[in-house]
Amino acid sequence: MVTLDVRPQLLDALSALRDRVAAARFPLPLPGAPRARANRDELLAQLDDYLVPRLRQPEAPLLAVVGGSTGAGKSTLVNSLVGRRVSEAGVLRPTTRTPVLVCHPEDHHWFSGMRVLPDLTRVWVPQQDGGDDLLLPGEDPTRVLRVETADTLPPGLALLDAPDVDSLVADNRTLAAELICAADIWVMVTTAARYADAVPWHLLRTAKEYDATLVTVLDRVPHQVVSEVSRQYAALLTKAGLGDVPRFTVPELPESAWGGGLLPATAVAPLRTWLVHQAQDPASRQHTLARTARGVLDSLKARMPELAGAAAAQYAAALRLTAAVDGAYDSEHARVRGRLQAGAVLAGDALKRWRAFPLDCSAAELLDALVESLAALLLCAVTAADERVDEAWRREPAAGAPELTGRDPALETPEHRIGLAVRRWRRELEEYAEEEVRDLERSVAPDPEVIAALVATALLGGRRARTAGEGLAERLGAHGALRLRDRGGRLLTEHLDRVVHAERERRLAPLDALDVHPEPQAELIAALSVLQKER
Amino acid sequence: MTAVTDQDHTDHTDRADHTDHAAHPADHAEEAVSEGGSGEDGGGAPVEGGASGAVEVVETEGVVETEEVVEVEESVEGAHARVGDDSCGRTDSSGAWDDGLIARRVNETAGGEPVAVVEARGAGAPVAAPLAYDGALRSRLDALRELVGLSRTRLDSRTLSEAGRVLDEAAARRRLSGQHTVVAIAGATGSGKSQLFNALAGVTISETGVRRPTTAAPIACSWSDGSASLIERLGIPPRLRRRPLQSAEMEAQLRGLVLVDLPDHDSAAVQHREQVDRVLALVDAVIWVVDPEKYADAVLHERYLRPMAGHAEVMFVVLNQIDRLPGEATDQVLDDLRRLLDEDGIALGEYGEPGATVLALSALTGDGVGELREALGQFVAERGAPARRISADVDAAAWRLRPVYATGRRTGLSEEARDEFAVRLADAVGATAAGEAAERAWLRNANRACGTPWLRLWRWYQVRLEPVTGRLPLRAQAEEEATARQRVEQAVRTVADRASAGLPAPWAQAVREAAVRGSQGLPEALDELAARAGLPPGRPPRPGWWPAAVLAQASMTLLQIVGGLWLVGQIVGFMAPNLGVPVLLMVAGIIGGPLVEWSCRIAARGPARRYGMEAERRLREAAAGCGRARVLDPVAAELLRYREVREQYGRVLGVEAGVR
Repeated sequence: MVTLDVRPQLLDALSALRDRVAAARFPLPLPGAPRARANRDELLAQLDDYLVPRLRQPEAPLLAVVGGSTGAGKSTLVNSLVGRRVSEAGVLRPTTRTPVLVCHPEDHHWFSGMRVLPDLTRVWVPQQDGGDDLLLPGEDPTRVLRVETADTLPPGLALLDAPDVDSLVADNRTLAAELICAADIWVMVTTAARYADAVPWHLLRTAKEYDATLVTVLDRVPHQVVSEVSRQYAALLTKAGLGDVPRFTVPELPESAWGGGLLPATAVAPLRTWLVHQAQDPASRQHTLARTARGVLDSLKARMPELAGAAAAQYAAALRLTAAVDGAYDSEHARVRGRLQAGAVLAGDALKRWRAFPLDCSAAELLDALVESLAALLLCAVTAADERVDEAWRREPAAGAPELTGRDPALETPEHRIGLAVRRWRRELEEYAEEEVRDLERSVAPDPEVIAALVATALLGGRRARTAGEGLAERLGAHGALRLRDRGGRLLTEHLDRVVHAERERRLAPLDALDVHPEPQAELIAALSVLQKER
Repeated sequence: MTAVTDQDHTDHTDRADHTDHAAHPADHAEEAVSEGGSGEDGGGAPVEGGASGAVEVVETEGVVETEEVVEVEESVEGAHARVGDDSCGRTDSSGAWDDGLIARRVNETAGGEPVAVVEARGAGAPVAAPLAYDGALRSRLDALRELVGLSRTRLDSRTLSEAGRVLDEAAARRRLSGQHTVVAIAGATGSGKSQLFNALAGVTISETGVRRPTTAAPIACSWSDGSASLIERLGIPPRLRRRPLQSAEMEAQLRGLVLVDLPDHDSAAVQHREQVDRVLALVDAVIWVVDPEKYADAVLHERYLRPMAGHAEVMFVVLNQIDRLPGEATDQVLDDLRRLLDEDGIALGEYGEPGATVLALSALTGDGVGELREALGQFVAERGAPARRISADVDAAAWRLRPVYATGRRTGLSEEARDEFAVRLADAVGATAAGEAAERAWLRNANRACGTPWLRLWRWYQVRLEPVTGRLPLRAQAEEEATARQRVEQAVRTVADRASAGLPAPWAQAVREAAVRGSQGLPEALDELAARAGLPPGRPPRPGWWPAAVLAQASMTLLQIVGGLWLVGQIVGFMAPNLGVPVLLMVAGIIGGPLVEWSCRIAARGPARRYGMEAERRLREAAAGCGRARVLDPVAAELLRYREVREQYGRVLGVEAGVR
C-alpha cells in the first residue's frame, strides 16, 4: 500500500526500474516495435514526470492537468478557474501550442525547478506575441512549459493547460499525452458536439486503466439541451464503467471561447470548489494522491511485462536474422569445401594451363591461374551466401532496419578482400616450397616455383591432379612431398575458414551494432518484482 | 401498386411479341416482383417488403434486366424467333433501344413530372443513359486493365487489389446513370451533416439532435428519377431513400443530384466509420462538413483529407455553424481552414482553377446554403463529377502502384554488361589459356621442325631425363567439368544483378529468376562446346615458306657434313690438302644452321600468334553464343516485358511520352 511517507527502498527500486526502462531499446522494425517504443517513452515520462517526484515529495502541490480535444475550451476553462487570462484562447485551432502551468506564487518553487516535467524547458516571461522569439535558437518550440503564478489560485493546487489530444500537430499530441500522464488529477474536457468522439474516449479508458483521479467537464453546452446532453454523456460514461467519475457541466455562454473572454465565476464554481477541496482537505488530498500513484504503480504490473515481451521479440528476431546468416554461410562453406575436394579450382583457365605445363606454360603462370581460380571460387561462395541471406531476410520484417539495409557499396569489395587472402596463401605456400627445397641435400635441387605450382595443383586439383602429386614425389621424395602437401592443405583450410568467417562477421556487424541482447527482458521483469516486493 | 400492374402490362406485351422461350426470364422477374409486393402486404420479411417506396425501384430494375435477357436470347435465336418484327423496328429506330424503353418507363412511373422538362434537359438523350467516359479516361482505364493483366503473374494480388477495385468501380459506375451525380455529405459527429442535408432537401429527412452520434446509417435523397440503381450500389436500403420537397424551382436547380447523408467518421462507434469508408469509395463527390470546433481535427485531416487530396476536384469543404462565430472570426477560421487544406495537399478551387470548393454557411440559419446550392447545381449540371472521380481514383491507384513499376533511372542491359558477361564466360572455359597454349605449341613444333638436328638430339635427351608430368595420362581420360562452375555462376549472377539494377523489386526478381533458369545446364553445354571447338580442326596450318626453311636447314646440315668429310679426307690423305674450302663450308653450315633456325623462329611468330588467336576466338565466340542464347536472351525478354508494362503504366498516368 502506498502511503505518502517517503520510503527510500521503494524509491530505490523505482529508480532501478526507471533505469532499466530507459535502457530498453527496440531497434528492429518489428510490427510491435513502434508501439513498444511509444510505451517505453510514455512509461519513462510518467516515471520521471510524475511517479518518482510524487513519491519523493508527497507534500508538493496537487497538479491538475486539463486535457481534451481541440476547441473544447480548455484554455477558457483554465482562465476562468484562475480568474484572469493566463492561457491564450481563440477561434483558430489548435490554439494552445505551449502548455501553461498556473500555480499560487508560494508554490512557484515546486515547479520552477526540474522536479517535475524535467524534459520541458521553463519559460518565465509571459509571452507577448507568439512565443517563438522567446526561444533560444534550435530549441524545440513544443518542448516548452510556461509557468504562471496567480494569487487567485489556492496554495497546494496547480493547473496545467495541455495542448489538444487530437491535434493536427503530432508533437502536440505526444506532449499532451505526456502532460496528462504527469497529473495528479486528470481533468478531461469535452463538449456537447464532441462527447462521442473516439479520441477522448481512448484517453478516458486510459485513465480508467491507470485508475487515475479523474474528473470530466462537459463544456460549451447550449443551455437548451443541457439536461439531454448531460444525460446522454452520463449514460456513455456509465457504459464505459466510469459512472462514478465526477462530472461538471459548463454551459455555452456568449463569453465562451470566441472572444477569448472569461466565463463568469458561477459557471465554473462547482468545478473550482471540487478542485480546491481536493487540494486543501487533508483527507481528500491524501486520497487523491494515493489513488493516482497507486494506479500508476499497479499499471506497471501490466506495462512492464509488455515491454519485456517486446524486448524478447526483438531478441528473437535478432536471433532469427543471425541464424539466417549463419545458415547461409555454413552451407556455402560446406559447398565450397566439397567443390575444393572435387577439384573445381582446376577448371577453365587453370586446367588449360595445367595441361600445357610444363612444355607450353611456366610454373608462375600455372600458379597465377590457380590462385585466380581459387579466388573466383571463394568469391562465388561468398556472393551466393550473401544472396541467400538477402533472400532469407526479405521474409523477415526485422531486416528492414535502415542500419541493416544500407550497406555501403563504396567500401572495399569482397573481391578485393578475397584476392588479398588468396595471394597471401600463395606467398606462404611458396615459402613452404622454398623451405622444402632448401632442405634437400641434392646438388640439382628443383626450382621452388615449380614445386609450389605442383603442390598447389595437387591440393586444388582433386583427383584429376594425381600426376601433380606424383611429380612432386619424384622431385622431393615421397616423404617430403607428403609433408609439403599436408602443410599446404592445412594452410588452405585455414585461409578458407578465415575468409568465410571474416565475410560472415562483416555481414553480421551491423546487426551486432544494434546491440540486441536477451538481458533487457529479464532485467525488466526483475526490476518489476523487486518493486512489487517493496510495496 | 399501380407501378406493379403497369409493369405487368408491359411484360405481357413483351411476352406476346416474343416466343415463350424468350418469355421465361420475364416470368421469373415478374414472380419476384409480385413476391415483393405480397411480402409488403403481409408485412413479413423486412428486407423485401421494407417500404412502399421500394416498389418502383425494384420494378425499374426488373425491367432493365428482363429486357436485356430477352434481347440476348433473341439475338441468339436468330431471325426465326423474331415474331414481332415491327416492335423491333420501333425500338431500333429510337436509337438505343433499352434506353428508350427505360426512358418511357421512367416517364410513366414519374407520374406528375412534366415531360417537357425531361426533353429540354435531355436534348434527345434518355434520362438514365449510362455514363460515358471521355476518350482520355477510357484509354487510361484500358491501360490500367491491361497493366493489371500483364502484371498478374509478377505481382501478388494484394498489390493489384486497389487497381482492380478501381476498375470494377469504374465499370460499375459506367453501367449506371450518367445523368446523376451522387454526392455524399461527410463530416465529424455534431458538425451538422444532417442539418445541412435537410436544409438542401428542404424537408426534415434526416434526424438531427444533440444525441451523439446521431445518424447511424446513410440516407439517400434523389432529386430526379432513374437513380435507383445508383443508390442500390451504395447499399442503401429502400426504406432509407427519400425525395426532397417538391418545388419546381429547386428541382430544376439540383436536377440529377443524389445526396447521401453519411454517419460520422470520428465517433466511438466503429461501425459508423466503416459505413463512411465504404460509401466514400463509391460516391461521385463529397461535401465535407466541418465546424469551427472541429475543423482542425487530426482524424479528419490525416485519415480522410490527406489520402483523398487527389480528389480535390470532386470535393466541397463546408464550414458549418458560422452562426456560432462572432463577426470577423468567420473569415479568420475560413482562412485557417484553407491553410490546413493547403497543407493537406488539396488544391483549392479559387480564381477559376480546378479544385475543392470551400464555403462557409450555417445550416441552422440558412446563411450561405443558397451559395452551396448554386455551386452544387452548377456542379451537377456539368455532369463531369463521376468521370473526374474515377480519374482521380485511377491517379491514386497508379500512384500507389508507383513503387512496383517506376524506376529512378534508366534500366536495361547495357552493351558493357553483355561484353563483360561474354568475357567472364570465356574465362570460365579458359579461352585465353587455351589460345596461348595453342600458340606456344605451334611455335614449339615449328622450332622443332626447323631446328638443327643436334639441338633436337639434345632436347630429346633432355625430355627423356625429365620426369613426365600430368599431361600424358590426362589426355587419355575423358574430360569432365572442364568449365569452371564457379565462374559461370558468378558471371550469371553479375549479369542478372546488372540487368535488374534499378528495377522495382518484383521485376528484378523475375529477371534474376530468368537468368538463373537459363543458367541451368550452361556449364555442361560449355563443357561440351569446349571439347568440340577447342582447336581448329585438322592439322595446324603451315606457312608456305615452311618447306624452304626445312630444305635450308637440311642443306646447312649437309654443308657441315660435306665440309667435315672433306676435312677428314684431307686428314687421312685421301684428298689433296686444301684447308680453306672445307673449313669455309663447315663454318657456313655451323653458323647457317642456327641462323636458319633463328630466322624461322622470328618468321613463325606471326603464324603462331594467328593460330593461337584463332583458337581463342573460336572458344570465346562459342561460349558467348551459348551464354547469349541461354541467359542473355531470356533476360532481355524479361526486360522487354517490364518495359512494356512500364509503358502501359505511363499510359495509365496519362503521360503519352516521356516514360523513362
